[in-house]
Amino acid sequence: MMMPPDNAVILTRGLKKEYELGAETIHALRGVDMQINRNEFVTIMGPSGSGKSTLLNLIGCLDTPSSGQYWLSGQEVSQLDDNDLAEIRNRQIGFVFQTFNLLSRTTALHNVELPLIYAGIPARQRHERAKETLDAVGLGDRMKHQPSELSGGERQRVAIARALVNQPSLLLADEPTGNLDSATSREIMEILVALHERGETILLVTHERHIAAYTERLIALRDGTIESDEPHTIGAEVM
Amino acid sequence: MNVLDAVLLALRQVWAQKLKSFFTLLGVIVGVTFLISVIAVVEGMNRYVQDDFAGAIFGINTLTIERIYTRRGGREDDRTRRRQARNPDVTIADAELLRENVPGIWYMAYNADRFMPEVRAGQNKRKNVRLIGVTDEYLALQGWDVVQGRGLTRIDDVRAIRVAVIGDAIAEKLFPEQSPVGQDIRLGPFRYRVAGVLKRQGGFIGIIRDAAVVVPWGAYQADFSRRRNVVESIQIKFRTSEALVAGESAVEEILRARHQLRPAEENDFSVETASQILDAWEGVKKVLLAAGPGLVAVALVVGGIVIMNIMLMSVLERTREIGVRKALGARRIDITRQFLAESATLSIVGAVIGMVAGSALAKLVDVATPLPASVPMWSIVLGVALGLFVGLVFGVYPAIRASRLEPIVALRYE
Repeated sequence: MMMPPDNAVILTRGLKKEYELGAETIHALRGVDMQINRNEFVTIMGPSGSGKSTLLNLIGCLDTPSSGQYWLSGQEVSQLDDNDLAEIRNRQIGFVFQTFNLLSRTTALHNVELPLIYAGIPARQRHERAKETLDAVGLGDRMKHQPSELSGGERQRVAIARALVNQPSLLLADEPTGNLDSATSREIMEILVALHERGETILLVTHERHIAAYTERLIALRDGTIESDEPHTIGAEVM
Repeated sequence: MNVLDAVLLALRQVWAQKLKSFFTLLGVIVGVTFLISVIAVVEGMNRYVQDDFAGAIFGINTLTIERIYTRRGGREDDRTRRRQARNPDVTIADAELLRENVPGIWYMAYNADRFMPEVRAGQNKRKNVRLIGVTDEYLALQGWDVVQGRGLTRIDDVRAIRVAVIGDAIAEKLFPEQSPVGQDIRLGPFRYRVAGVLKRQGGFIGIIRDAAVVVPWGAYQADFSRRRNVVESIQIKFRTSEALVAGESAVEEILRARHQLRPAEENDFSVETASQILDAWEGVKKVLLAAGPGLVAVALVVGGIVIMNIMLMSVLERTREIGVRKALGARRIDITRQFLAESATLSIVGAVIGMVAGSALAKLVDVATPLPASVPMWSIVLGVALGLFVGLVFGVYPAIRASRLEPIVALRYE
């Protein structure tokens, strides 16, 4: 049995995902081998239908592969059950979504507290940590606001704080700037760059080249397989 | 996610949509309102019947012997009616026979009564009076105390003296400024002298005593009775309930022999005791307490189904929220608990509103009608418990549906 190297946050071998759609079988992923190491900043790009959403779901432990193996921080997670996956998501992964996915009708602070609630952290500590994390993304003065009272950039910063608050080993950002204007996009990307410099491991999915340009490695997907995987220089080509 | 967080979340949602919540909870509110108010009235009536009513009307350890009349509009068939029409009257001779032969009598009296349209004293008058002709032990037997003047004596009775003991309400109306004792009142064409005034009873039961004019049997016979020697009822009071039981069978035996009834024939007279009134009330109570839970159950089931519907809608509306929560690490049990806590909280809020409304209704009955009502503690506990039960039972299905949502499907839901 193979063991992943110590510094690999993500290691996959022959990752496949098939769906039954009526009589047809859709091969969304046809065997993906990849390794992402600690403190890498990686972009996955690919046209729609290339399988990047499926790959992201598998990496995010929101779904399980049809076959193949996946180690997250050295732990094989490809065959875990529902509850174990929930715990992995809670402790190892921070999600940032295109549509923010904040809970409305509740405060920014409560949104950031959510992962800590499910981690079973006592209320007082929860408050402290959520506040600190919101401070870190520059929203210390917006904690009591509801999402509807925040701008798009602020909402995404709340979402980033929520993704970070439980100190995950991997930050997954799915089109994090897809719903933002270019100035705000830049602001969000600069936060991600800063987080990377601080030591976070970040996997970004986007279809915009100038967003990919903030990262240091670019994986291109096509038809469920990796088409190319090459290094990138931060800040090149764009803006 | 702990239960307290879920409860607070649910309360916030109830508060955010007050009108919708009210309609959602209507079934539970109605059910619990009904529950609380019915229990309150039954409890109140219970205490009332046991403590006051039976004792006041029939007295403790007291027998009342009456002729059985066919009630108009009763349910008896024609044969029964014909037989009842032949029932003998209860007479003075019956009373005297019983006095001689029933063991353990403490007090005994007989009486007849009639309605008087009015009683006057000078310019003052009081309408709608009950005139009761009684033998001398009647007041003592009934426990009707005389607070001014004197009661009625055997001499009053035998000599048919026109004296009267009047109820408090009548004394107040006829003699607002002076003592009624020694004054004259007019009953129809006759002049009676007031010998005494009865102690005020008040309340619902007091309607009888406080508006009564009690006169000696002899005078009543002479002035008001249409049928000589016929009495309305005979009362016999015993010292103990054992003596009452023995007395009751003695009375039946004596009267059956006197009326020459064969063993198979029913009594053609009635012997009532306070315990029979209590039995009758027990019957009514049984019906109330049997029908009550049915109605409450219907309301609660309807309420539960509405809550289930609302929760299913809520699960659908919040599919994305559920997806997000799952992505952030919520396990199935967390989601189940959240939605269960929500439906239980909803339902308990309904139960609490129902309790307040039910208690208010009971209070209203207590104040506005002669019926007493009191809300016992156990009915409050029962109300909350039922609320919790309905919320949990009808919340299970939506909560489980929510918990089974696949995170990727839920997250993509628009």
